[in-house]
Amino acid sequence: MPDTHHAFEHVKAVYLPIAIVVFTLVVGAVLILLVRGAGRDRPGRRSNALRLELANAAVLACVAAFLVVITFRTETPLDRTVAHPALRVRVIAAQWSWRFEYPGGVAVAAVSTWHPRPALVPTGVEIEFAGVSRDVIHGFWVPQLSFMRQLLPGHVSRFDLIFHAPGTYMGTCSVFCGEQHTEMHFALQAVPAVQFERWLASGGSSA
Amino acid sequence: MSTIAVPGAGVQRATLASTDHKRIAASAGVLSLGFFIAGGVLALIMRTQLAADGGVVSQGVYDQLFTMHGSTMIYLFVVPISLAVGLYLVPLQVGAAELVAPRVALAGLVLFACGGITMWSGFLTSGGAAAASWWGFDPLSDASHSPGSGMELWIFGVLLVTVGQLLWAGCVLLTALRRRAPGMTLMRMPVFTWTMVATCLLTLFAFPALIVALALLWAQRHFGGVLVGDLGAVDYQQLFWFYGHPVVYVMFFPFVGMVGEVLATFSSKRFFGYSAFIVAVLAFSGLSMTVWAHHMFTIGQVTNKYFALTSTALVVPAGIEYFDFLATVWRGRLRFTCAFLFAIAFVLQFLVGGLTGVILASPPLNYDLNMSYFIVGHFHYTIFAGSAFGLFAGVYYWFGKVTGALLREGLGKLHLGLMVLGTNMTFFPMFILGAQGMTRRIAAYPPSMGWQGLNELETAGAFLIALSALVFLINVVVSLRRRRPAGDDPWQGHTLEWATSSPPPRYNFAALPAIRSYAPLLDLRESREAVAS
Repeated sequence: MPDTHHAFEHVKAVYLPIAIVVFTLVVGAVLILLVRGAGRDRPGRRSNALRLELANAAVLACVAAFLVVITFRTETPLDRTVAHPALRVRVIAAQWSWRFEYPGGVAVAAVSTWHPRPALVPTGVEIEFAGVSRDVIHGFWVPQLSFMRQLLPGHVSRFDLIFHAPGTYMGTCSVFCGEQHTEMHFALQAVPAVQFERWLASGGSSA
Repeated sequence: MSTIAVPGAGVQRATLASTDHKRIAASAGVLSLGFFIAGGVLALIMRTQLAADGGVVSQGVYDQLFTMHGSTMIYLFVVPISLAVGLYLVPLQVGAAELVAPRVALAGLVLFACGGITMWSGFLTSGGAAAASWWGFDPLSDASHSPGSGMELWIFGVLLVTVGQLLWAGCVLLTALRRRAPGMTLMRMPVFTWTMVATCLLTLFAFPALIVALALLWAQRHFGGVLVGDLGAVDYQQLFWFYGHPVVYVMFFPFVGMVGEVLATFSSKRFFGYSAFIVAVLAFSGLSMTVWAHHMFTIGQVTNKYFALTSTALVVPAGIEYFDFLATVWRGRLRFTCAFLFAIAFVLQFLVGGLTGVILASPPLNYDLNMSYFIVGHFHYTIFAGSAFGLFAGVYYWFGKVTGALLREGLGKLHLGLMVLGTNMTFFPMFILGAQGMTRRIAAYPPSMGWQGLNELETAGAFLIALSALVFLINVVVSLRRRRPAGDDPWQGHTLEWATSSPPPRYNFAALPAIRSYAPLLDLRESREAVAS
């Protein structure tokens, strides 16, 4: 299950505390060194400590290895696409619009706006997005899902997303794409499968 | 030791045509500081725009502003000043009378000046300056999406300065390798010189990729058919980031070296862990050539895990450097000069940039934060909160050597205080805004997002940084007008540049002390103390 936001939170819960601890330790060490060094008359003479250096490097290597393992384990399912998604949606990005195309010819477009009409998606199932750009590189970013993917001209990028909670997920173009990059927004509205099917059957009008 | 008369030295050539490495470096340094101010003014306009709810300039102008801000700061300020400090100090630190191939270095200066002017002249064209970001990514930068001469001038400008930087790197590297004084073995070269060796190696290996990328981009714009195929856009990025990541270390290592020298001098101690540090810097350089595609995690066309692995592995050499910094200060007799305090600020603030870099090296986190303000915060903490503070540590340290007059410590501490406050006010909120979904390179944001307050705080911080820069300029003027002579060695330095007059004479040294370690002047003082007691 590519729950992208959960994956983000999972990795963040490891990385952020470690970063805060390291920062605190270094700041603390520097403060102690400064206070103790302020009134010293004669400096120490020692200028190397190979064993300590090696121990430090070993600890750093262990921390790095630990972080890499966490990252790899979480990333593998994120990069996978399932063979039979519940729904396939084509995403077409262009200067400066988004277009979501569904099976059966239903399409929702958002042209250079901060208040896009939402494109519907069913909750709780894997949805394959096949994204492509018509001109320059664009970025399909949904902050609430903690996920972005760059969309290239002439090359289809595929990725799976799952929307667990119903609601509106705002999206934006994250890769600078020219004059109206600022206005290039889209919205995905996650609704229960039944409601989604009804919407699709009605040609995308009964939201 | 004082100035000696060298035949012909009395005949001063015009400053700009001098082949004295110190004059070339000083001209390059002043020029890059000029570009720093120009790039800073662009940043202030952008910050005003973002605090004023997008009401100052149009999106099109804003695009030019951030493109030229990034391009100026990287191509015309931090990279050239990194190499310029090397041009000045490396010959002095290795006890050389001259730079290898000074005329080539002079050509580099001319290329730098011409390139900078070329890039900025885009503002004078009818279509304005380049507006495709400092990356110049294809296809946004191609003829149909970025027509006009601003983009052309950008390509030529970057090309010229990059060729100039390659020439400088060659001169500095060869000077360290071929012009060392008797006794100055490789493993006695000062810490700063070693970081310059690493910097020059990275420059020589990585910068040609940018030249190729720009040449292909130019050909694509004029003839088409170069960056083609369904992944043509990715090809440009591969080339660009093969330059674009190592350049980050070109903008970092020299300042690591400066901070190392400053910490050692003002702790009155030999730099700690010299050999481990040198090994770490070289390993760091090698590794940093293997991480470029972490800038491309969100494309889905590179082996993310490989690049996540190499990028995360950078914590090992970085941690060794930090260990050596702290151990140098440990048990030191500390002198809290401006240079020392700027160096401490570098150590603490760069850490924020480094740790957020580890976070961004993890693809599951990068998938969210890439292209957001989080990344803007991250690299400003490395380049500004880090490198710029390291640069000022170096400026306060070596200003007396270069000009013969010391900077005022009081004004310097005011400069530092304002700069620390402004820097953290400007760049820390960016982490929060990025995590909340604010995209980089936008000229406005929806009012409903509630980002106004933090953006106003950032803008206030940016103006505090500008004020701190003003205090620095006042300090320079005051210190040069009412000179407090630096003397040969105002700080009890460890390295050879302090064994000659300030400023050093045309061919640098009248005589050299014996060189038995990487801190020859400290050796001299210690042996004198031993004799006295």
